[in-house]
Amino acid sequence: MWITDAAVSVEGAGIAAAPAPTRRGRGIAAGALGWVRDRLATTPGRLVLISILVVVGAVVFGAIALGAEQSRERAATAARLQTERLLVQAKNLYTALSDANATVATGLLSGGVETAANRNRYVNDLAHASVALSNLTQEAGTAGNAQAALRTIAGQLPTYSGLIETARANNRLGFPIGAAYLRQAALRMTSPSNPEGMLPAADQLYRVEAERLNDNYRTGTATSALVTFAAASAVALILLLLAQWYVARISRRILNVPMVVATVAVAGVSVWGIVGLVNAQNALSSAQRNGSDPVEVLSAATVLLSRAQGDLSLAIVSRGTDTADANDFDVVKRVFERPGGLLAEISALARRTGTTAAAQKFQTDYPAYQAKAQTVADREGSGDLKGAIGLAPQASAISERLSLDLAEQIDAAQGRFMRAAAHATSAFGGLGFAIPLITALAAVLALVGLRQRINEYR
Amino acid sequence: MKRPLLHLLGLALIAASLAGCGASSDHALNLTLDALDTPVAKSTPYDEPTVKCNNATVTASLRPPATLPAPGHMPAGSFMADIRQKGHLVAGVNAGAYKFGALNPGSGNIEGFEIDLVNQIAKAIFGTAKGHVLLVALTVPQKIPFLEQGKVDIVVDTMTITCYRRTKVDFSAVYYDAQQRLLVPLGSGIKSISALAHKPVCATTGSNPIEVMKAMSPQTRPIPVGKSQAIDCLVAMQLGQVEGISTDSSILLGFKAQDPNTEIVGPSLKAVPYGMAINSSHRDFVQFVNGVLSKLERNGTWQQLQANWLRNFGQLESPPTPRYDG
Repeated sequence: MWITDAAVSVEGAGIAAAPAPTRRGRGIAAGALGWVRDRLATTPGRLVLISILVVVGAVVFGAIALGAEQSRERAATAARLQTERLLVQAKNLYTALSDANATVATGLLSGGVETAANRNRYVNDLAHASVALSNLTQEAGTAGNAQAALRTIAGQLPTYSGLIETARANNRLGFPIGAAYLRQAALRMTSPSNPEGMLPAADQLYRVEAERLNDNYRTGTATSALVTFAAASAVALILLLLAQWYVARISRRILNVPMVVATVAVAGVSVWGIVGLVNAQNALSSAQRNGSDPVEVLSAATVLLSRAQGDLSLAIVSRGTDTADANDFDVVKRVFERPGGLLAEISALARRTGTTAAAQKFQTDYPAYQAKAQTVADREGSGDLKGAIGLAPQASAISERLSLDLAEQIDAAQGRFMRAAAHATSAFGGLGFAIPLITALAAVLALVGLRQRINEYR
Repeated sequence: MKRPLLHLLGLALIAASLAGCGASSDHALNLTLDALDTPVAKSTPYDEPTVKCNNATVTASLRPPATLPAPGHMPAGSFMADIRQKGHLVAGVNAGAYKFGALNPGSGNIEGFEIDLVNQIAKAIFGTAKGHVLLVALTVPQKIPFLEQGKVDIVVDTMTITCYRRTKVDFSAVYYDAQQRLLVPLGSGIKSISALAHKPVCATTGSNPIEVMKAMSPQTRPIPVGKSQAIDCLVAMQLGQVEGISTDSSILLGFKAQDPNTEIVGPSLKAVPYGMAINSSHRDFVQFVNGVLSKLERNGTWQQLQANWLRNFGQLESPPTPRYDG
C-alpha cells in the first residue's frame, strides 16, 4: 500500500531528524511520533502529512537538482572564462621563453652582427613572456608550486637577458666567450639539474593550469551530475504523482488543477534541465576535443621545435666536450616521430577537427626541417663548422615557418574553444534561476491543491 | 498513471547514455605533459685513463729527415704523397681556443696560431696552403678516434702530450711549451696560487689542472671548481663566482685577449707540452712534420706567427727545444 510506505518514510524522517537519544530527546521523538500517529488516524490528518512531505520533497530534491546543475555550470563557466585563458597565458610564457632561447642561439650563428629580424623576434619573445608572466601573477593565485614557479621566472628573466646581452657584446667582438655566455644563459633556461631553471618553472605553471582546466572538464561533463539531476527530478515527480493518486482516491475529483500544474512545471523543468545539461556537456566536450586538446598538443610541438632549433645552433656555436646538444636534438626528434608521438597526435587531431588542409603545411615542412637539420648536424658532427654555419639559415628558416604555422593552428583551435565553450555556458541559460523558482512554485501549487481537499473536511 | 513513470525512466536512460559520448578525456593532456617533460640529454664528462711512463722522454719524437722533400715533390709511397694525391691536408683543430684556434663568428673561419702552423705544413706539402687545408673542429673526445679512423691527417688542437695519449697516437716534437698558470682579475693583488688557499679556482672538469690543484698541500690548496669547458671559467670569473682560473697558459692568453681586466700571475705549476698528433702508422709524416717545425723555428717563421697572434697579451715564448729519440 502506497500510503503506508509514505507514512513509514515520514516516521523514518522523524527519527533521523531527532537529536541524540537523551532522556529529553527521547521525549521529543516520542511526542513527534505521537503527533504523526494522531494525524495518520484521520483523512485530513493524512493530507496534512502529505502536504509536509510534498513541500519537504520539493525543497530537498530541488536543491539536489540545482546543486548538480550548478556544479556543471560553474565548471563550464570557469573553463570558459578563467582556466583556459590562464592555460593560454602559461602556454604563451612557455613558448615565448623557449623561442627566445632558440632565437638568440640561432642569431649568434649568423656572425658578429645578427639580423634585425632575429633581434626583434627575441625582443618580442621577452615582451610576450613578461606580459604572460604578469597576467599569471595576477590570477594563478592559489597553488603554492605555481607561486614558486612564477617567482623563479620573475627572478631569473632579468639575469637571463643580461647574460644574453653580454653574449651579444662579446660575439660582436669575435670573442668565443660570447658563446660561453650564451650557454650560461641557456643553462638558466633549461638545466634539469638547476632547480631555478625557467623552462622547468614554465612547465610547472603549464601543468598546474592544464590540470585545473582538466578538472573543469571532468566536473563539467561528470555523468554523476546528470544522473543525480535526473534521479532528483524523477523522485520529485513521483512524489507529486503519488500525492495526486491519493487525493484522487479519497475524493471524487480525478484532477486537482493546482497539483497538475505543479507536476507539469516540474516535468518541464526536468526535461529542460536534462536537455540543457546534455547540450552543455556536448559543447564542453567539443571545446576540449576540438579546442583545448589541439591547443595543448600544438603548443607542446612549438616548445619542442624551439628546443630542437636551440640544440642545433648551440651544437655549432658552443662545441663542448661531448655531443649533448646533438643528442638532445635526437631526443626531441623521437618525441615527435615515435608511434603515438606528437606528429601522429597532430594528424589525429587535424582529422578530428576537420582541419587536415590547414595541418598539411606542417606535415610537409616538418620532414623538410628534419632533412635540412640533419645535413647541418652532419656537417657539425664531422667538424665542418663553416659548412654547418652556411647551411644553418636554411634550417632556421623552415623552423620559423613551422612555428608561425603552429601559432596559426593554435589560434584557430583557440577560436573553436571559445565558440564551443560559449555554447556550453549558454546551454545552461536560466536553469540556475528556473530550478529553484519552479520548484518553489510547484510546492506552493501542491500546497494550494492539498489545502482545497483539507478544507473540504472542515 | 504508470506511463509517466516509464517515460521518466526512459528519459533517465537516454540521459545516462548521452553522458557517455560527451565525457572528457585526459589523453591529449597526458601526451602534452609527457612530451614537454622529456628530459634534456645530459653531458657526459670526458675522462682519460692515467698511464705511467717516463715523463722525461714522453715528449721525445722521431728525428726529422736530413733534408725535407721540396714542396710538391713528396716521396712516392709516403703519407705526404697520399695527402698531396687527395688534394688537401685534413687537420683537426680547436674552435674555441682564442688566438690558438677559434671560430671567428664574423667570417665563420677558424683562425689562430695553430691554424697558421697547419697552413705552414700544408704549404710544405703543396707549395701553397691556399685551397689545400680542410679544418675539422673537434670536441675533446673526438681527437683520438678521428685520428685512428683516418678522418683527419693531423690534430693541432692545444693537445698535451701525455703517456696515455702516446699509447694511442704518435706526437710531433713539442711545438708550444704551455705551462699551467693562474689567471686573476687585474688589480686583485694576487701574485700566486698560494694566495688563493681555500678560495674557489676554476678549471675544466676532470682536467689535469684540477688534479694539480688537488695535489697541493692542504694549507695552500685552493678549492677547485670544475666547469665543462675552460671558457666557462672566464664567465665564472667575470660573474665573480671564482677568484682565479688555473689552466694552460695558451688558454689563459686567449682569455686575457678577451678580457683585458685580467692578468696571468705566478710560477708555472706544471709543464704542458703541446704536440701535433698523428696516426701512429704514419711515422714518415711525423718525421716530415718535425722537419717542418724545426725549419719554422730556425728561420723565424714560428716566432713571427706567435707574435702575430700573441704579441699584445704577454711575454712571448721562445720556440721549444725539440727532443728526438731516433
